[in-house]
Amino acid sequence: MLTKQELLDPLARVRTDEVVITSMSIVRVWGRLSDSDLDFASADSAMGHTADLALGVAMAQPSRRVICLNGDGSMLMSLGTLATIVESGVDNLILFVLVNRTYEITGNQPVPGAMAVDFAAMARAAGFANVYHFDEAGAYASALEGILRSKIKGGPTFVSVSVAPESEGPISRSASEDTRYLQTSLFDWSRRFKKALEN
Amino acid sequence: MIVPTHQGPLARTLVDELARQSVSHVVGIPDNASAALFRLIAEHVSIELLSVTREGEAFAVASGLWLGGAKPLVLIQNTGLLESGDSLRGTAVRMGVPLVCLVTYRGYAKLPSEGSDEVMIRADIDSVAVVTEPTLDAWRIPYELYRSDADISRVQRAFDQANELSRPVALLLTQALC
Repeated sequence: MLTKQELLDPLARVRTDEVVITSMSIVRVWGRLSDSDLDFASADSAMGHTADLALGVAMAQPSRRVICLNGDGSMLMSLGTLATIVESGVDNLILFVLVNRTYEITGNQPVPGAMAVDFAAMARAAGFANVYHFDEAGAYASALEGILRSKIKGGPTFVSVSVAPESEGPISRSASEDTRYLQTSLFDWSRRFKKALEN
Repeated sequence: MIVPTHQGPLARTLVDELARQSVSHVVGIPDNASAALFRLIAEHVSIELLSVTREGEAFAVASGLWLGGAKPLVLIQNTGLLESGDSLRGTAVRMGVPLVCLVTYRGYAKLPSEGSDEVMIRADIDSVAVVTEPTLDAWRIPYELYRSDADISRVQRAFDQANELSRPVALLLTQALC
């Protein structure tokens, strides 16, 4: 099992011009590592709709890699999106699901099927072309750049990672947040992000 | 269910207008009333069709498409509009996406004129029609009815209004397209 830092530090090191879309307990942690206008926090938004939002960005920007950092609770809310992603035919979307088996920001209540659900198997069954699962930091860090840089084979990529639950609290959009993409409204950041994608 | 008839508006007229508006993607789920339009969009050279598994997905995908510079349109039934509530609120509305949504208006033909609670359980009334417009009002989504080909200018008006307000706007299709 990885910590969030073990998951995100290597990603921050190898990320260049990829879009990164974050959700729930990963939002602040990523925002402290990255200050890019190509980051988008699916916060103050609609829980369960991060992967489908990322799919839309990937469809509209086929020449750009889109990395979605989704939570397992959020993914469970819209498992059908796995089928939609495959149906779309995108090959530039890399969907991470961070499996901590809890709703972390509401106090780590267990998600349904917490100890049973196999997200990588679900992704394979939905038709994802490239599926990975990591539960050890070294193996993940060694493979990450290859996953991001290799020519994607015939469809979207799914990466499930076992991460330890921590104690991230509720997320707000306000000046008191310490990450830039949470210091403005979803409305305003959407326009900044959109402009960055146009450049 | 809206039963397709030969008196309804033409799907061809609508798809031609969507192309004229430079719609790049249509995201949604077909029903009997929109089936003809879905068929035409699936064959269209400049509009990409994406079918989703639940209507709430459509608003999130469309919002992402807009972020990425595309011009999406959502096509769903009014039952799916109700399903979409939090996604519509939390993505397209909250982000200020100028998004036009075509919603087939199941139950419109038998919409009662009176408003007692009984209409929600009467077998001769489709309760989804009863709550469609009040729901859009509550969600602050502007809308107009699209009853026939004569209403085609309302498509342009919907896009104009969505752009002006930076907000989703709905067009309610009261008859099956043919």
